[in-house]
Amino acid sequence: MIRRRHRFPWVSYLLVVSGAVLMVVPFLDMVMTSFKGPGESGRLPYRFLPQAFDFSNYRAALDQLDLPLLFRNSVAATALITGSVLLTSSLAGYALAKLRFRGRDLVFRLVLATMMFPPFLFFIPHFLILVHWPLAGGNDVLGRGGAGLTVSIVALTMPFLVNGFGIFLVRQFVIAVPDEILEAARLDGAGEFTLWWRVVLPQTKPVLVTLALLTFVDAWNEYIWALLVSTADPDVMTLPVGIQLLQDYVDPTRTMPVVMAALVLSILPVLVLFLLLQKHYLRGVMLSGLK
Amino acid sequence: MVNTLAPERAERPASRLRPSGPVLAARARRRQTVVGYLFLAPALLFFAVFLVLPLGFALLLSVSRWTGFDLGDIRPVGTDNFTALFAAGSTFLTPVLTNTVLFALGTVVIALAGSVLVATCIDRLRFQGLWRTLYFLPMVTTVVAVGNVWKYMYEPGGLVDGVLNALGLGSVAFLQDPHTALPAVVVVQAWASVGSAVLVLTAGLKSIPRSYHEAAALDGAGPVTVFLRITLPLLRPSLLFVCVTQFLTGLQSFALITVMTKGGPGDATAVAALEMYRQAFSYGDWGTASAAAFVLFVVVLVITLVQLWVFRRKGEDA
Amino acid sequence: MTRPARGLNRRHFALALPSTLLTAGCAAPHRGTGRPGDPIVLTLLSHYSSGALKKALQDPVDEWNATHDRVKVRNVAVEFTDLLTTFMVRQAAGQGADIIQPYCLWTGQLVRAGVLRPAPPEHAEEIRRGYSAAAVGAASVENRVYGYPTEAQTYALYYNARLLRAAGVGGPPRTWPELEAAAHRTTRRDRYGNTLVQGFGLSVYDDSTTVGQTLALLNAAGGTFVSPDGRGTAIDSPAGRSVFELEHRLVTGGASAPGVNVYQAFPSGRVAMVISAGWWTGSLKPLMGADYREVGVVPVPVPRAGDRPATLSTGFLLGVNTASEHPREAWEFLRWLNAERTGARGVTRMSALQVSVGSLTGRADDMRALLGRGGDPNLRPFLDALAYAVPEPNVPGAQRAKTLLRANIEALWTGQQSVGEALRTTRRQVDQEVARPW
Repeated sequence: MIRRRHRFPWVSYLLVVSGAVLMVVPFLDMVMTSFKGPGESGRLPYRFLPQAFDFSNYRAALDQLDLPLLFRNSVAATALITGSVLLTSSLAGYALAKLRFRGRDLVFRLVLATMMFPPFLFFIPHFLILVHWPLAGGNDVLGRGGAGLTVSIVALTMPFLVNGFGIFLVRQFVIAVPDEILEAARLDGAGEFTLWWRVVLPQTKPVLVTLALLTFVDAWNEYIWALLVSTADPDVMTLPVGIQLLQDYVDPTRTMPVVMAALVLSILPVLVLFLLLQKHYLRGVMLSGLK
Repeated sequence: MVNTLAPERAERPASRLRPSGPVLAARARRRQTVVGYLFLAPALLFFAVFLVLPLGFALLLSVSRWTGFDLGDIRPVGTDNFTALFAAGSTFLTPVLTNTVLFALGTVVIALAGSVLVATCIDRLRFQGLWRTLYFLPMVTTVVAVGNVWKYMYEPGGLVDGVLNALGLGSVAFLQDPHTALPAVVVVQAWASVGSAVLVLTAGLKSIPRSYHEAAALDGAGPVTVFLRITLPLLRPSLLFVCVTQFLTGLQSFALITVMTKGGPGDATAVAALEMYRQAFSYGDWGTASAAAFVLFVVVLVITLVQLWVFRRKGEDA
Repeated sequence: MTRPARGLNRRHFALALPSTLLTAGCAAPHRGTGRPGDPIVLTLLSHYSSGALKKALQDPVDEWNATHDRVKVRNVAVEFTDLLTTFMVRQAAGQGADIIQPYCLWTGQLVRAGVLRPAPPEHAEEIRRGYSAAAVGAASVENRVYGYPTEAQTYALYYNARLLRAAGVGGPPRTWPELEAAAHRTTRRDRYGNTLVQGFGLSVYDDSTTVGQTLALLNAAGGTFVSPDGRGTAIDSPAGRSVFELEHRLVTGGASAPGVNVYQAFPSGRVAMVISAGWWTGSLKPLMGADYREVGVVPVPVPRAGDRPATLSTGFLLGVNTASEHPREAWEFLRWLNAERTGARGVTRMSALQVSVGSLTGRADDMRALLGRGGDPNLRPFLDALAYAVPEPNVPGAQRAKTLLRANIEALWTGQQSVGEALRTTRRQVDQEVARPW
């Protein structure tokens, strides 16, 4: 690379740029389609640009979808998941990195092991556990007779509240915090909780930002679990599920433009967040290579 | 593998504790035990309720018959569900499991080849961050968006056929033709996952000391030789990681297929996780669904172990 | 864990009912407030989720709610593709609706799973008396009635008279040889080989065009899909073979192009003949406008002249959930909706509802009263077919069996399987599915 600086890397540019076009074109097609008029999408021959920029699809998407409900559910679920993952990962990560107690290595190995089980294995039992959650949603102590937690927004978040990878990530980071700082604070009489709050949290801010972003994006985009929970109770429907359902409800000549308009609206928040904070996010993905 | 984190320090023995007498040390230790488990409590509780309990539940269901409604109706039937999955006439082995493996394999091959190419090329360019960001866009987009956009592009009158027609080729009904449906979905999954692979490989490339390449170049080795002899072998850990994680994702993912084809046409894109979902939540056969989940789990495990073993052996040979 | 009181309350706000749910633990969400004196709220889950269908069902429900103080009914609907999963998931989540309208194909599965409650004797008798045998059969499992048959569909042959005339075909076909000849004569292609007119529409678009028309032809040939005891398939029979061979000949001979969506192609004059259900008349009329004049309907052709006519019938039923706490009220509402006669013509509300959206019910007298004069003559063959149609099987594995059949039919049409392979594979797969002991 350093030796070849005098030669312009034509081939590489060609490859990377054409690849990048391939990555971006579907998004452009989505945006373009979202402006196409009735009967215009799917017409032969294919045209990339809309005949006129028709904003009515966005209006239709807003009319058809209960956007306030969907947004509120998506935001609430995402916030709950992100908050919980941050809190639990940070607490557990600190304990596993800096506190000394019996069974710590065993627990750490257990945390690593949790990452090995594929999520689909838990899909069915998680649903059943929520349904039969004792004393919730009309259930008795044995978890029978009612709807359990499936009728609440909590159902959207339950399986994602703690994340083994998050704990692992924070632990790896906390280990690098110099012991001297912790010892100095302990000498000042700080309890472990104060220590965690005053010293560990500030010291690990970068990794927490990264973890927050990773969790946020995953939670916001989650589809399959949300689909199941919303099938049980449409009141907890999230954005991706609502938009997917939209397909069945719109006038067929403009289904696609309206769906695309709704999609543009729904991915915009994440896209903006990603572009603003991409450095932290991308670092997180690289860190996942540590597993 | 990646140097963004400070290197993990070797654990130092008890010297960390203040040398203020055995009593104090013991008390500090006891306190740390209490606090440690207190801090771990939320996570441990969660794992107990959402990992251990479900595992047991899933195991129980996989050897039972149950329609999913009344916990009292769970009826043990031994290995019936498993034998039914592999009985003559069952569609689980073919086409469902074969589709699953082909889907994962196809995704891995395309994403890996693409990402190796792109990562090595990006390494020579300016504005590396910009390029990587573009490749990463699908990763932060919901599968509902990715699936629908591509479904639309594959449709007659969509972008893909538009390009084919402009090149003078005939239209292809990608998602309607059972021969092309699975490859068409594989391409989308690979498209969506290439970004993270590029990122991990880039990190791997950056950790290869530049001097290696310079030395090789001084020896008169061409870029291809350098790539094959130096870059690729040194990239092995990153490659292994990409390979294993993409395979894992590919074997269990069905969100994209749910959005794009719902398993059709016919059985052409039916995969194991989707089959599990349907058996339980559409056909009310929770036992078969759980059995299918465990079979898929074994497949995932075997494929992962084989990959680790192959890469390790190659590592020893080199 | 916090109790989901918010979710519960919101539902009741939506109902505009007093919603001080004090004890979240004692009431499941769809069962009213549970306080004495407050009305009982029955939920009704159907697939009438949009457009004319939604309104058609909402009207009688509004009428009921306006005239009944103690029992109110609330409509809930999802798209048909999501209906079965919604039944199963909501039931599993303890939120099954009090009244459900399943597709008859699922009756066996829903009964086995304990979702549907058998009709009380007086209702069962009312149902047996009022409906055609096919409709009662589709709503029954082992001679026990599980609900009021509602929407009934039979299959017949739609044809475009203009395309037949243009090809010099005298009239719509009555037998398979006539069907094949007409299909080949009406097929037209351009010089590149693109199909301009498909003689006989075979479509892989959805269940009703693939499986529905294949089963209609199978029934017309005297065959059945599932054996009488429900323990296996009867498709691998001479009748089954003849149907698969007919379709195979049509595809390989170029008279059928399975890739084309006939729901779009027929209205635009690019398909000469299609076998489909009666509801389609309702959507063809507005789609085709004046061109609808050229559309005719005749019974499904039989293999040889003089064969007994037969076709497929499918339908829905309205039943009561086992989990409902107010079954008596629910059955009473269903009787009011399905059996009470009103209006000048003295027909049931359900019959009026179905006919208003271009469908039928299994009540022959109602249908005669509603369609007697002035109605669309194209509905007549569907009505006549109610007398001789074979109901779609409703054994427990029926939905799965239908999916398997569809996959194999599509494999046959796309050339992945020969006729023999398709028959054998279907038999093996369906037998494995429906013969499993439960």
